[in-house]
Amino acid sequence: MVQIVKKSKLMMDTVIEIKVVTSRSPLDIEPVIEQAFNAFRKVEQACSRFTPESELMKACQQIRTPVPISSWLFQPLKFALEMAEWTQGIFDPTIGKTLEMYGFNQHYLTKEIASSLAVDDTSYRDVILNDHDRTMTLNRPLVIDLGAVAKGFAIDLAAQVLTSFQGFVINAGGDLYAGGLDETGHAWQIGIQHPEQANHIIDSIHVTNEAVCTSGSYVRRSKVREDIHHIINPISKQSPHELTSCSIVAPYAMMADVCSTVVCLYGLEQGKRMINDMELKGILITSNLHVERVGGI
Amino acid sequence: MAKMDKKWVILCTTAIGVIYSAGYLSTEEQAALQEPQHHINSNIQSVSSQVKSQYKNGTFDGAGSNRRGSIEVKVTINHDKITDVEISRFAMHYSKNDVVGLPQEVIQKQSAKVQNVSGATYSTQAFQDAIEAALTQARNV
Repeated sequence: MVQIVKKSKLMMDTVIEIKVVTSRSPLDIEPVIEQAFNAFRKVEQACSRFTPESELMKACQQIRTPVPISSWLFQPLKFALEMAEWTQGIFDPTIGKTLEMYGFNQHYLTKEIASSLAVDDTSYRDVILNDHDRTMTLNRPLVIDLGAVAKGFAIDLAAQVLTSFQGFVINAGGDLYAGGLDETGHAWQIGIQHPEQANHIIDSIHVTNEAVCTSGSYVRRSKVREDIHHIINPISKQSPHELTSCSIVAPYAMMADVCSTVVCLYGLEQGKRMINDMELKGILITSNLHVERVGGI
Repeated sequence: MAKMDKKWVILCTTAIGVIYSAGYLSTEEQAALQEPQHHINSNIQSVSSQVKSQYKNGTFDGAGSNRRGSIEVKVTINHDKITDVEISRFAMHYSKNDVVGLPQEVIQKQSAKVQNVSGATYSTQAFQDAIEAALTQARNV
């Protein structure tokens, strides 16, 4: 009999829910789900900027020295730097120090406060990755934030693990990947959260084997500055306000994740152009709750 | 510009491929699976023999609640580090203040029908009490 098996954990400062549609026995299913969660655990241990023990924070201790880093860190970092270059720094993973200064620096489990000896006028050009020997070199003391790519990367890795199920959804606090079909044999229905009314959806779409990631200005706000949320323009050091919610549909969660952040930074018109250039789909919601569907959904 | 699309897809497939084909996810998970399984079976409080650790090793239950409802967590500790937080029960409701102006039935219908929602990250603030309750149990006295 086809059933849905669900499990939730707290990881990467968010609730990760994995559900699978299957007729296999629970004993068969649980280890696979656990393996998928392990992808999140590994990416968090590599990429977290909230703990000094992460591979990222350890590697950032050394300046002007090539430091060998594992693929768990190298791959998402490479993706983030490529996007930084393509957007000419509108998206920039070296925004970490600025985020720290605005109060986005507390570990969700240990409550440890991260405060780094770094400068905040850094750019992605200060980080050099060497593909051949898999090393990272920092030109200056800086803090790398992989918030816009690491979760997507972990979702994609977890999705690989779950492909043997007839259907599955990995929902990492609103960024998700829906594989296969739901328990009724249809494409998964994904609701887009209403930016102003929790537990209410503003729109919905159907997807299969696709990721949907949403960046919004409506949940994580700075405790230090009222007009700042967790998406910040690295040049102006201000948060964008034209769009309150940007949902992107893409073949990979890492793509959807980073694009939703970039579109949020770009605003409506330039955001629409980027979605079209990358041949993606999106649902953009402006601050006056106008809903715009882009890319033919 | 259309070429850009392919570039990002290739970057993603390569990134996933490097990890997956190296077998990291399939070999390491063997060890990782044994662990939680073991903890859950032995259930609460398998006491560590270590001398100076602040917490016992094992899996501990904790519950927390706020105006939106209650949650229960299972916190796994290994050598004073939280290695896993499983949400064993989630019974949160949103108060009427959050959805003012909307007929209650509409909300209930929508949330019952649409189970997968993409949106901004939940705040994990609500989980802190539950985790702390579990940590209190785990504390070595």
